Amino acid sequence: MVTAIEIRSVTKTYQRGGESLRVLDELELTMDASTFYALMGPSGSGKTTLLNLVGGLDHADSGRVVVGGTDLGSLSGGELAQWRAENVGFVFQGFNLLPVLTARENVELPLLLAPLSKSQRRAQAERALELVGLKDRMGHKPRELSGGQEQRVAIARAIATDPKVILADEPTGDLDRTTADSVLDLLQRLNRELKKTILMVTHDPQAAGFADKVVHLDKGRLGRIDDNRAAAGRA
Amino acid sequence: MPWKLLWRNVLRHPIRAILTVGSVATAVFLLCILDASYRGLDAAVADASKTRLWVQSAVSLFVDLPEGYQPKIEAVPGVKDVVRFQWFGGIYQDPSNFFAQFGVDAAKWSANYPEIELVEGKLADWEAARTNCIIGRDLADRFGWRVGDHVPLIGAIFPRTDGGVWDFTIAGIYESRSVNIDQGTLYFHYEYLREGLEQGAVQGPRGVGVFLTCLHPGADASAAIAAIEQTYENGPQRVRATTEAEFQRQFITMLGSVPTLLAGIGSGVLFAIFFAVLNTVLMAARERTRDVGILKALGFTDGSIAGLLLSEAMLLCTAGGAVGAALALLSNRALWSFMSAFIPGFSIHTNVAMSGLALSVVIGALAGALPALRMRRLAPVTALRSEA
Ligand SMILES: Nc1ncnc2c1ncn2[C@@H]1O[C@H](COP(=O)(O)OP(=O)(O)OP(=O)(O)O)[C@@H](O)[C@H]1O
Ligand SMILES: [Mg+2]
Repeated sequence: MVTAIEIRSVTKTYQRGGESLRVLDELELTMDASTFYALMGPSGSGKTTLLNLVGGLDHADSGRVVVGGTDLGSLSGGELAQWRAENVGFVFQGFNLLPVLTARENVELPLLLAPLSKSQRRAQAERALELVGLKDRMGHKPRELSGGQEQRVAIARAIATDPKVILADEPTGDLDRTTADSVLDLLQRLNRELKKTILMVTHDPQAAGFADKVVHLDKGRLGRIDDNRAAAGRA
Repeated sequence: MPWKLLWRNVLRHPIRAILTVGSVATAVFLLCILDASYRGLDAAVADASKTRLWVQSAVSLFVDLPEGYQPKIEAVPGVKDVVRFQWFGGIYQDPSNFFAQFGVDAAKWSANYPEIELVEGKLADWEAARTNCIIGRDLADRFGWRVGDHVPLIGAIFPRTDGGVWDFTIAGIYESRSVNIDQGTLYFHYEYLREGLEQGAVQGPRGVGVFLTCLHPGADASAAIAAIEQTYENGPQRVRATTEAEFQRQFITMLGSVPTLLAGIGSGVLFAIFFAVLNTVLMAARERTRDVGILKALGFTDGSIAGLLLSEAMLLCTAGGAVGAALALLSNRALWSFMSAFIPGFSIHTNVAMSGLALSVVIGALAGALPALRMRRLAPVTALRSEA
């Protein structure tokens, strides 16, 4: 199995009111390519922090974060921005889209950073929207979309540049059960059909059930890793 | 599409955008007017004659001098002519129709004001009848008067004893070749007024408001002034003599230190606008913190995001500056006809309007720089943590 993400002895501390808070503590974790991971843990356990490090949005204090063979610690701010544009797609919890742009324009945003013509960008954005089943809504502004539709547009944007890794921070946190399930279903399909490596933070055990593996984080350290496929195989 | 994003962000709050553009436009427009007034006043002083002296009562402009002063003033070395000059203060139909009227010695007055040119009628036409007058081009345009028309005036200072109105006939129309001399005045024969007073047909103060004392070219103005003032140093009424240039200057300084005031107002306006724009841009940047986080996560560089905010501020200010400058230039003609009565040299210069535009671009850049730098430095993680 190819390794997609390597976390090697990563430590991250935040300074708060003169007090230093160790959010990630010498964390060790290896994630396989083309696998759907759910990241669970109590609030404040460092899930978002870890996701941001893997996505190159933040630097670790020590240790190494290697994604797709690239050591993120070796990249400068500008290089890191370019690396993000080419290698990862993000889906956040709520307010993912720029309110002044239509669904299609939001999906086109990351494509602006790729060497594509206007028509290529357009075609690629429409393909991504078609994949999430929202091609007919591409002219709508975010406030004209439902919460579930918004998240699906965000997913379309995350896959528009065809990155290998998709990072999602509580993508279904604001959604009702049925809507959440359809979004999770979509993520699962992206993993199965397009072989995306997905790392999804969630508090919801049912959401975690859509993943291949569930990583538990506790106080900045790795807890157990559940393998849903193995469990399913045993059952 | 970052440009599309820029445009949409601007239009997201159309009222706010319009107010910002409007305030910058107003500022540039006002600056153009201030500058035109400043230049106009300056030109008036610089251009004013130094060979014409205004000899008046030392008490006040509103106190007349006895007619008998004239020969002694004429005897002062260097003096070529003395023209009697009297403020009439008549009312045409309604006080709101105000315009100035002066009684003068027509021939001498004309001879000593080469800047004034009769474009319709001749001096001889004016002199043909005692009741004749000449009027300025602007005054003619204002009331649609033509040569031959009658101008009935109610004598406010000089009422007629029969209760009737004064009746002047327009014999000529003049234009001014100097920024100092307006085109909105009526000049009539001083003699006509004097006769009326003498014959008892008119009531009112007897005397001369100003002896316009015209010097020979090259004459020493300060020596003449000293001599004239000395003549009546011990009364019966002391006089004050000033060159027309000095008179203009004093009139202007009487309004306060106008140039300094204008410059102060100008910089105050700019300062206020700068903070208004800064406030708008800061507000816009704050509500877009989340957007900035998303853009950074997507891989947009810090520089391009900062550029977006900077461009937004510059776009708003440039638009405002352009509107203000265009408005100023387009209304120059209309403003001139209104302002030139007070400030004869009033004119909005194209390069001033352009400087106003340039200044608004600079204001946009300065106001946009602060939020742009802030957003540039903002860590993506911090931006994303902010609630929209
Ligand atoms: N920029 C920051 N400055 C200071 N402290 C921070 C910062 N970011 C995160 N923290 C703290 O670090 C800890 C871990 O935060 P993180 O967001 O990773 O937790 P989480 O597991 O995602 O929690 P949740 O489930 O509530 O989202 C929290 O205690 C949080 O308050
Ligand atoms: Mg979190």
